[in-house]
Amino acid sequence: MNAAIEVVDLKKRYDAVEAVRGIGFTVGAGEIFGFLGPNGAGKTTTIKILCTLLQATSGTARLAGLDVAASPNEVRRRIGVIFQDPALDDRLTAEENLMLHAVAYRVPRAERRARIDESLQFVDLDDRRKDLTRTFSGGMKRRLEIARGLVHRPEILFLDEPTTGLDPQTRARTWEVLRGLREKYGTTLFLTTHYMDEAENCDRIAIVDHGTIVALDTPAALKQRVGKDLIAARTTDPAGLSKLLAEKYGLASTPADGGLTFLVEQGDAFIVKLLTASDRPPLEGISVRRPTLDDVFLALTGRQIRAEGAEGQAAKFRAMVRRRG
Amino acid sequence: MIEVVYALWRRDMIKFLRDRRQLVTSLTRPFLWLLAFGFGLRASVRIPATGADYVSFLVPGLAAMTVLFASMFAAISIVWEREFGFLKELLVAPVPRGAIVAAKILAGSATALIEVSLMLLLAPLVGARFHPLGALASLPLLAVFGMTVNALGIIVAARMKSFEGFGAVVNFVIQPVFFLSGALYPISGLPRGLRAIVILNPMSYVVDAVRGLCIGHHAFPLLVSTAVIVASALVLATLATRSFRKMEA
Repeated sequence: MNAAIEVVDLKKRYDAVEAVRGIGFTVGAGEIFGFLGPNGAGKTTTIKILCTLLQATSGTARLAGLDVAASPNEVRRRIGVIFQDPALDDRLTAEENLMLHAVAYRVPRAERRARIDESLQFVDLDDRRKDLTRTFSGGMKRRLEIARGLVHRPEILFLDEPTTGLDPQTRARTWEVLRGLREKYGTTLFLTTHYMDEAENCDRIAIVDHGTIVALDTPAALKQRVGKDLIAARTTDPAGLSKLLAEKYGLASTPADGGLTFLVEQGDAFIVKLLTASDRPPLEGISVRRPTLDDVFLALTGRQIRAEGAEGQAAKFRAMVRRRG
Repeated sequence: MIEVVYALWRRDMIKFLRDRRQLVTSLTRPFLWLLAFGFGLRASVRIPATGADYVSFLVPGLAAMTVLFASMFAAISIVWEREFGFLKELLVAPVPRGAIVAAKILAGSATALIEVSLMLLLAPLVGARFHPLGALASLPLLAVFGMTVNALGIIVAARMKSFEGFGAVVNFVIQPVFFLSGALYPISGLPRGLRAIVILNPMSYVVDAVRGLCIGHHAFPLLVSTAVIVASALVLATLATRSFRKMEA
């Protein structure tokens, strides 16, 4: 079976800036693959090259075996794209938006109605089909864009920051839809995000920073690289506990509200060890937290991913203008 | 391919027809000119060769003006669609760029044609007199002129990142094209230098041909005017397609 996406040594240079600096990866058919990184890491540039909207400076990208630079139209027919900012015609109804898309992607005339009905039902918007999309909320617009992306049954669906700016419920609902999509149609999903919890939904994640991939693996494997779990213990005698941890287990701890926290490998097993130790100070509570992708990113780059950079501001401004207009 | 052009054309038409306000406001312009300028000067301006009163003389020029403004500003939809993202959806679709441009030009021209038809229908109510069949025969020429203007608008829009920028450039282009077209005065009596400029302006041929058809007065042979109108449409449509291809989402 062909890989859905094959990228080799992809580079993109704008005048003075090298936005993408030699990226390479392969995505299998039916996989949910995520590009995780801060704003300005080169995620959107990469997605634009894969979607034929930008020409790479060098390197190759193949989708379903087709070179994006050599046969852009063939590629366009096989992919669906959901952009970071809404790309609906907000003066058309939901149905009209989908119909235009169906014609543009040459969905056979006889199938158009059925496909549109099915897509609208899939995202639970069939009761709003006759409404102008300008009356839709952000989450409904995003769902409608997903529905639109489905009308031509793309082999690969690209999503650039699919849930940015959506409230938590809508984000959860969007993810339900996306997972359903893979189950039902076997669609390959390629998405970019700077949300850690969103990246958890992916089969594999490439962590990108400054235009390169710094790590690529399953979320679980990535977290295992950081290795240690974070344990928070509540105690009336933090000094005693700290001393015990240092002397008996060689662990450094940090004081925290009502107790202390420390990092240890296999935290669950360590808790049992600690609880059964006869010489421990009294404990009021103890919890163990697995490392998150935040910790992974921090460990790999020495920085934290910051949400909402200049891009977020621009989106807000556009949303404001749109409401006025 | 034809179906895609039709679907895209239809989209612009649906939006135009949903926005009645736009239609009404754009009809105000020619009637303001006709009433204020036409009747304002009717008593003092005689155009001996034509035998027509000044209001009737103005109608063909204002018809061309209506197309000029309507079709040019229809091209702002490209700036609008880039600003609000829809353009990306079009550019990532497996649709040739030429089809998108063709649909835009045809829609821009069609909306202008609707406006100018309404204008010509209503003009007799304020006292303008012209041959109704001549006006009907003018519509195809005005439609082709609408394509030319819309193509020019696309060339500007493809380079503009903001509404203000588009507005500024378009006004800069539209005013001289209008005032130097013979829309408001006959070409025959002009000083040599001005006459040379007017003859180089494609809109002059539209005004002249429509005037010939409506009130029987014209400076150029109808065939020459038609040739100029069609040729300028072809040239600008080609250039518009080229600048659209180069444009970045």
